[in-house]
Amino acid sequence: MSKLKGVIEIRNLSKSFVVDNDPLQILKNINVTFSSGEFVSIIGSSGCGKTTLLRIMLGLESDYEGEALLDGEPIVGPGLNRGIVFQDHRLLPWLTVTENIAFGLDKLDRKEKKHVVSEHIKLVGLNGFEHAYPSQLSGGMAQRVAIARALANRPEILLLDEPLGALDALTRIHMQKELERIWQLEKITMIMVTHDVDEAIYLSDKVVIMSSRPGVINKIIDIPFSRPRDRASSEFIHIKAQILKEFHLGTEYPFAYAI
Amino acid sequence: MDLDHKGLNGQIINDQIMNKNITDRFQWKDRLLGLILPVALLFAWQGLVNLKLYSDLILVPPLKVVGTLVYLAGTGELTTHILISLQRVLTGFLIGASSGFLLGLLMGLSATINRSLGPFIKALKQVPEFAWMPMIILVFGMDELAKDVFIAIGAFYPMVFNTYQGVSGVPHKYQELARVFDFKNIRFLQKVVLPSALPSILTGLRLSIGLSWMFVVGAELFGTESGIGYMMYSGREMFQIDVVIAGLVVIGAIGFIMNALLKVVENRVLVWNVSVEGGQG
Repeated sequence: MSKLKGVIEIRNLSKSFVVDNDPLQILKNINVTFSSGEFVSIIGSSGCGKTTLLRIMLGLESDYEGEALLDGEPIVGPGLNRGIVFQDHRLLPWLTVTENIAFGLDKLDRKEKKHVVSEHIKLVGLNGFEHAYPSQLSGGMAQRVAIARALANRPEILLLDEPLGALDALTRIHMQKELERIWQLEKITMIMVTHDVDEAIYLSDKVVIMSSRPGVINKIIDIPFSRPRDRASSEFIHIKAQILKEFHLGTEYPFAYAI
Repeated sequence: MDLDHKGLNGQIINDQIMNKNITDRFQWKDRLLGLILPVALLFAWQGLVNLKLYSDLILVPPLKVVGTLVYLAGTGELTTHILISLQRVLTGFLIGASSGFLLGLLMGLSATINRSLGPFIKALKQVPEFAWMPMIILVFGMDELAKDVFIAIGAFYPMVFNTYQGVSGVPHKYQELARVFDFKNIRFLQKVVLPSALPSILTGLRLSIGLSWMFVVGAELFGTESGIGYMMYSGREMFQIDVVIAGLVVIGAIGFIMNALLKVVENRVLVWNVSVEGGQG
């Protein structure tokens, strides 16, 4: 039997940084499993260590207690089986859209490379902008290129660090739909760090809620609704109220507005 | 799909092209403005000549200089001198700039190398170029090699410092990206460090070749019978002020053209770099 790919297990993970000679605990006793093909959001206030957790899964942070396993194996350093989209698109300004998407494809020959790039340009809907430079793109388009670049290596897992955080509200909603479409097409595990409760509910199979100092997981909420989701539906608003309550931001009578 | 996005961004690209046209037009106006002073000086010069206060031998008329230039060009003498000077510039520049590039690269890549070499090179830079000359003559004598070394020293500094600045200044976010894509050593250098440092390196290159051209005239002060610098010194010795001024005009013109050509190359290569289009001068 072939094992399912794209599974991350975090076991009893704790991490501290040293700030001014004092250890500062960033993550405390984190336990969570990201299953194959799942879309999971991690939300929490600033400083709750959610980005650090993502960087551990990416392999950019080592030096922690506990375990971080990818498909049963400990994570040692970054690897092409995990793609990343940062909040800043981090495209290389001297490369065109095409060249940026091909950035990590050194191992392919010319023909394969061309094929993979054009496939991904189509996937993120950037036809016609193949030869544009990042400075000529809007924020939303640049982030599409970043997503295409991360997916071009066919990773098992796509990690997204507040990928839509720098976009305006309308572009953001549009890009959430696009992310959902891409996730459904690619069928890979996606783990997204976000500040935005609506975004998390709209996109995720489950939402991991963290709180800060030290960063712990408060609650993991499953979101079983069918897709595409309606942000105005009562179930959506009900879950939203439940999540906001975790941050002590819930209203006392949430349903007064929902009906 | 999202046609409105494409429309929006098509617009952005068009705007950039339009802005470029506008800056082009302004540049033409600026260029015309830049011509006012030299033309005025030319008229003043001719005016002074017309007053006949000084002998033609001391205050050479502008047209005499033009005549001398045409004459020198006609005999082939001018071309020979220019070619010899250019050859010296090229040799000195290649030695100085390539060693500057290599050292700047190593200093940029390794903090240890930078800490052990950086202060010494900065101290050396304080020595004025012409203060090297007695030392160079002592060590290398008066032949071509001495001139090459003299020019190379001038070409070295802008290259070493600009390369170092570019290489050490690769933004952390790109270094992290390279780690994520598992780029190491040569591939990291080739795909991230050098392109990121390129604007700085090209600036170094342009300054370096400019200084080489300046110092070739100094290098031709001693032990030579050729080159544009020699042409001027011999002109002075024989009191041919027209030859001296013709030399000045040629040196200025060639330096100006070299700088302009390199600027064009720079803008071509760095088409992605918006800050270049904004014009760093």
